[in-house]
Amino acid sequence: MSYLPYILKQTGRNLKKTWGTQVMTLLTVSLSILIFSFFYLVYSNIISAGARLGDELRLIVYLDSEVVPEMQEQLKKRIRNFSDVEKIVFVDRQMAFNQLADRLDKDRDVLQDLNASFLPPSIEIYPKKDLKTLTNIKRFSDYLTTLPGAQKVQYGQEWVERFGHFTQLLRFIVILSGGLLIISTVFMVSYTIRLTLFARREELELLRLLGATGSYIKGPLLIEGFLQGLLGSGIGIISLYAVFNWIHSHFSGPGFLHIFELTFFPPLITFIILTVGVLLCTLGSMVSIRKFLQV
Amino acid sequence: MSSNLKSMVELVKVTKVYPPDIMALDDISLAIKKGEMLFLTGMSGAGKTTLLKLICSLETPDKGLIEIAGHDLNRIKPANLQKLRQKIGVAYQDFKLLPNQSVYQNIAMAMEVTYKAPKFIRQRVDYLLEKLAIADKKETLAGKLSRGEQQRVAIARAASNSPSLLLADEPTGNLDPTISRKVMGLLEELNKAGTTLLIATHDDAIYRDTDHRVLNLHLGQFTNN
Repeated sequence: MSYLPYILKQTGRNLKKTWGTQVMTLLTVSLSILIFSFFYLVYSNIISAGARLGDELRLIVYLDSEVVPEMQEQLKKRIRNFSDVEKIVFVDRQMAFNQLADRLDKDRDVLQDLNASFLPPSIEIYPKKDLKTLTNIKRFSDYLTTLPGAQKVQYGQEWVERFGHFTQLLRFIVILSGGLLIISTVFMVSYTIRLTLFARREELELLRLLGATGSYIKGPLLIEGFLQGLLGSGIGIISLYAVFNWIHSHFSGPGFLHIFELTFFPPLITFIILTVGVLLCTLGSMVSIRKFLQV
Repeated sequence: MSSNLKSMVELVKVTKVYPPDIMALDDISLAIKKGEMLFLTGMSGAGKTTLLKLICSLETPDKGLIEIAGHDLNRIKPANLQKLRQKIGVAYQDFKLLPNQSVYQNIAMAMEVTYKAPKFIRQRVDYLLEKLAIADKKETLAGKLSRGEQQRVAIARAASNSPSLLLADEPTGNLDPTISRKVMGLLEELNKAGTTLLIATHDDAIYRDTDHRVLNLHLGQFTNN
């Protein structure tokens, strides 16, 4: 007879004996996973929405004179050395004049008696749309003012800073809920296993006398933790998906949430959350076994 | 490993003192050959139960060497001790049954820890219960049994794995003569099949006419070793 059927049978007995506590633990694990993954989902959606909103984000460095092509390469190098950017466009006076004319459209007549010399040349810098760049944009802007010939740097400073603060706050909440997830999961599972050990102490003592090996005694307890993790994480993720679907179907029309293109976790992230849940619960189980079971 | 592979049990100058200063066993030595059946007699408090507890490593000696099937119990690794325990059947004086589990479960668990096949376990339990005349109690919770019935369950569990060594502490203590004979019949059957038996008893009816070795303990020492 192989080892596995006995271990599974023993696990079944354990679960039956302490089912009340098992259900409470399962709910705690599910809730922890739900809270963490909810904030993480909001965070990841905000980030991608921010990236979309920031598509038009650019920094404009106004220069006091035109930049010759050799100098352009040098400036590009300096800019890229400081921060990874998507693209850099040099706009000379004539290009700026043409852009203004295009923007004025029907009213371009106002430019009729003017030439391009009243407009300053500039460099348009399109930064990468990641959080790191967005939160460091002020520093980047300050750096750009030190470039030779730079007079002034302009960008959607207020929007970017607010967005940066908001995402930082969300990041803090995600980290906090992640910490709570770890503590509550490990604590609850180790507490449940402790109760199992307490409920079965006489039986475990007898099993030792009968020659039960460490794996025969520990195996079911580890499987118990594993199952708690798998079921708890599964329920947490499924609940989140249900909440997500509800929000998606109720707020997908015009309105505030329309600016977000709501997406659920990709399969890889879902798998990682499940795996982390399982590992944390198994860890909780191991903690109790090491602490309270001398086999 | 032991120098004497023919010995199942070997005790050399073993002493066990319980606090504060109760001398349970006093510098005793004993060798039990493989396949031997040995009766250990003596009054209550003579040290019989202590000797059995030391042999099944439920307790450790204060002094001396104990070897079981060539394994030094002072040096044995925990994993090897568990394997050794699987080969030792013990019918404890206090039975050590799980009161909330059935007679069947109490006996089966000894075979489950050695991963015996479920079919074999069912057949073996049925056989033992039949042999000890408690087949009708198979599904009864152990806590609901009389002391005599609990004793038979404890003996059935000890015998279930057909162990290399069986230790029985007062196996007929709560039984009437007819049932005692059935118990002894089962133990003799195991002995004939190769099990080494050590029976602690003060029921002289079970060893009065025996051809096997009988050792008497008195105040922690053998009087006739």
